[in-house]
Amino acid sequence: MTPLLSLRHVSKTFGSGPRAVRAVRDVSFDVSRGECLAVVGESGSGKTTLANMILGVFGQSSGEIRFDGRALPSRRTLEHRSAIQLVQQNPLSSLNPKRSVGASIRLGLDVFGIGRRSDRWRLVENALEEVGLPGDFRRRAPAALSGGQCQRVAIARALACQPRLVILDEPTSALDVLVQARVLRLLDGLRRTKGLSYVFITHDLSVVRNVADRVAVFRSGELVECAETGAIFENPRADYTRRLIGAVPVITDHELKLRESLSGGLPA
Amino acid sequence: MRRTTVILLRNPLSMLGVVLVAAVVISAALADYIAPFPEHRGAVVDFVHFNQGPTARNVMGTDLVGRDLFSRILYAFRISLLLGVVVLAIATPIGTFVGLLAGYLGGRAEFALMRLTDVFLSIPPLVLAIAMMGVLEPTLLNAMLAVTAMWWPWYARLVYNITRSEREEGYVLAAEVIGASTLHVTFREILPNCLPAIITKMTLDMGFVIIIASSLSFLGLGVQPPTPDLGSMVAEGARYLPDSWWLTVFPGLAILVAVFGFNLIGDALREILGADQ
Amino acid sequence: MSAVLEIRDLHLRFRGHSGVSEVLHGVSLDIRAGERVALVGESGSGKSVTARIVLGLLQELPYAEVSGGLFLEGADLNRLSRRQWQGLRGTSISMIFQDPTSSLNPVFTIGAQFAEVLRRRDPGLPRGAADERAGALLRSVSIHDHARVLDAYPFQLSGGMNQRVVIAMALANHPSLLIADEPGTALDVTVQAQTLKLMHDLVERSGTAVLFISHNLGVVREFADRVFVIYRGRIVERGPTAAIFEAPGHAYTRALMAAVPRITGGGPPEPNDGETAFLDPMVVHEGGGA
Ligand SMILES: Nc1ncnc2c1ncn2[C@@H]1O[C@H](COP(=O)(O)OP(=O)(O)O)[C@@H](O)[C@H]1O
Ligand SMILES: Nc1ncnc2c1ncn2[C@@H]1O[C@H](COP(=O)(O)OP(=O)(O)O)[C@@H](O)[C@H]1O
Ligand SMILES: [Mg+2]
Ligand SMILES: [Mg+2]
Repeated sequence: MTPLLSLRHVSKTFGSGPRAVRAVRDVSFDVSRGECLAVVGESGSGKTTLANMILGVFGQSSGEIRFDGRALPSRRTLEHRSAIQLVQQNPLSSLNPKRSVGASIRLGLDVFGIGRRSDRWRLVENALEEVGLPGDFRRRAPAALSGGQCQRVAIARALACQPRLVILDEPTSALDVLVQARVLRLLDGLRRTKGLSYVFITHDLSVVRNVADRVAVFRSGELVECAETGAIFENPRADYTRRLIGAVPVITDHELKLRESLSGGLPA
Repeated sequence: MRRTTVILLRNPLSMLGVVLVAAVVISAALADYIAPFPEHRGAVVDFVHFNQGPTARNVMGTDLVGRDLFSRILYAFRISLLLGVVVLAIATPIGTFVGLLAGYLGGRAEFALMRLTDVFLSIPPLVLAIAMMGVLEPTLLNAMLAVTAMWWPWYARLVYNITRSEREEGYVLAAEVIGASTLHVTFREILPNCLPAIITKMTLDMGFVIIIASSLSFLGLGVQPPTPDLGSMVAEGARYLPDSWWLTVFPGLAILVAVFGFNLIGDALREILGADQ
Repeated sequence: MSAVLEIRDLHLRFRGHSGVSEVLHGVSLDIRAGERVALVGESGSGKSVTARIVLGLLQELPYAEVSGGLFLEGADLNRLSRRQWQGLRGTSISMIFQDPTSSLNPVFTIGAQFAEVLRRRDPGLPRGAADERAGALLRSVSIHDHARVLDAYPFQLSGGMNQRVVIAMALANHPSLLIADEPGTALDVTVQAQTLKLMHDLVERSGTAVLFISHNLGVVREFADRVFVIYRGRIVERGPTAAIFEAPGHAYTRALMAAVPRITGGGPPEPNDGETAFLDPMVVHEGGGA
């Protein structure tokens, strides 16, 4: 079966001449149906640039991005746009402070013509309930919500568009650890019940360990290593991956032992 | 909205602003009933009482042809407010439209629109208005046109700057990824976030438009006699200073009250709406 | 043995448009000589305001009401004048913030900013002597091309380099207390780990007492000797680091720990709910002199 998403030799260069920034360099990987692929890397490694190319915010400089077996055109069709959705890092800024939560969720329904017009508010309420919020939250302004609730709304907005692939760009980095845990469980559950695929962008390897099926490690725009999550955490190939694992703060001796054995005496 | 009103009324300074502006608006609206001599708004001559200081009959004195100054000031408020409202009602949408498109679209549209704006901004406002009035006839309508022409670029700049920063916010990306149209993103997503700053600026500008309009008529380029206008009244009276001080002082105070009132409210709104740009 | 810092029953209220909000409900905390004490809790729990009160910064706000005892090496801070308190900042108490690059002044070179810091203790220190001392300090944070760094502006250096500079500056005047508020959270994980290790070794060697503020339990575990867990303006648990991490006693601490994803795997963490228990009375672990 063809993978849902497939990148082949994808590169992105911003600007030209001596000031050109090669943000993504010759990257190839696949995401299969129902899979959660984690994209890990430090800031500036090109993770968001990669997400933007998959979403069609801008085109790639070279290479090919295929979705469901066909090359994605630079101008996306309505169908492609609804099939690939985004959840961003900053929950507060990703919702318009001057519009109600419901209006933000409904936008996708209107653009993609999902459901009957008269039915859409009900669909909005369903979407909110799916992420564990009461339906009447749709009347609220984002300012009346906590960070975790805003992030749930952003997830509801993505889900309401009936996507097949969701790009999660650091979805829990701005959240407190208790809230993060709940959002991670929610995302995990939704993926299973709806058969979604995720590209889960993060810099937190301990999150990756617990949510991803496979991991792609990025450094300065290059794909350093891409393997099953188990393999990455049992037998990291690249020195850089070992360094990343060695820097993860841990809270139990058990983890500490594992970390020391993996980072293999490399300087942290 | 209710919160804004409550806060506005709690602070003594903004309360004063509300009172001053309310007084100006009410006297303009009800001039026909408040003015002791409503007919004095027009070309009336009363040589029995001409050029008199304040008395019980004429609390602010009379002008050179014997008309009651108090009555004329009440009617002059009408002209000032009308001018302010009309100018802003035209300038704000134009400037907002230009600023939104330039700020959101970027590229050539941004270059063209903002250079045009800069051209207008580089000419001192009064000079532009005077130049226009030199070509056009000095009527109330043309005065409005002239002031509008110099006013919209300020809104274009303001809205452009806000749009430029809002464009980077996640909610704009979210709408774009869904595939919302340019019109939707600019008017439904970004514009509501510009409104606090726009409303604040409009309130502050009511005062400034009144001053500029008064300056134009002070120079004889605005509203023409016998229509009462605060600027022309000050101009006319200035020739008879200091003996007939009331001819200048009362219209001058009237300008001050209106401008000061709008400024106090504008300052308070800026704080409440958090529209510090 | 007297405490370097002692905070007794600290209360803080903010008066705002929509009434009064109580942010700290009686926080008590002490740090002994050479000790690294962590204050850990979620965002908005009152960590940064506690630090700013120790620095005397919040007391200057007209809408903040602060009460409670504050003692630095036995001296009552509340009896200091505003100027005297200001004089302590950067000398007896120094501070490291979240983002090193933005806490340095972008328009002066690192050398000029170092001289400024050193002159707070030694007014009139000539620039040459300042550069020499700055060079030695930079070596202590493993910066070896210190001549280049001293001539550079903050934006010409990497975040990690700036973080080292900030650490060196904070320790330049041998403060009795260093307050580090979420240090390096804005940096990459590998850089953060390196600079924290460096800071740990440095304060250990110099015997500087540290108030270490963080929301990250893992980081706290690696850095601190003792831990105070704060929840909504109340200390809910305190004790030696090992004791707390081995046997967290308070419902809130347990929930926090349960919520941290483990690199040993096991699926998304399952935080036990039951927030009502988060307001239970404080749990104190004895030992470590607590
Ligand atoms: N629109 C852009 N124009 C120019 N450079 C960009 C742009 N977007 C990103 N970059 C550069 O590309 C690199 C990768 O950025 P990004 O994808 O945001 O990294 P990450 O999300 O991994 O932190 C960085 O060096 C960044 O400065
Ligand atoms: N200057 C201020 N004015 C009003 N409220 C404030 C101010 N500073 C902080 N607060 C409030 O105090 C609480 C604690 O803030 P803070 O100490 O910054 O939290 P954190 O633990 O994340 O550092 C928060 O609810 C915050 O909104
Ligand atoms: Mg990014
Ligand atoms: Mg803080």
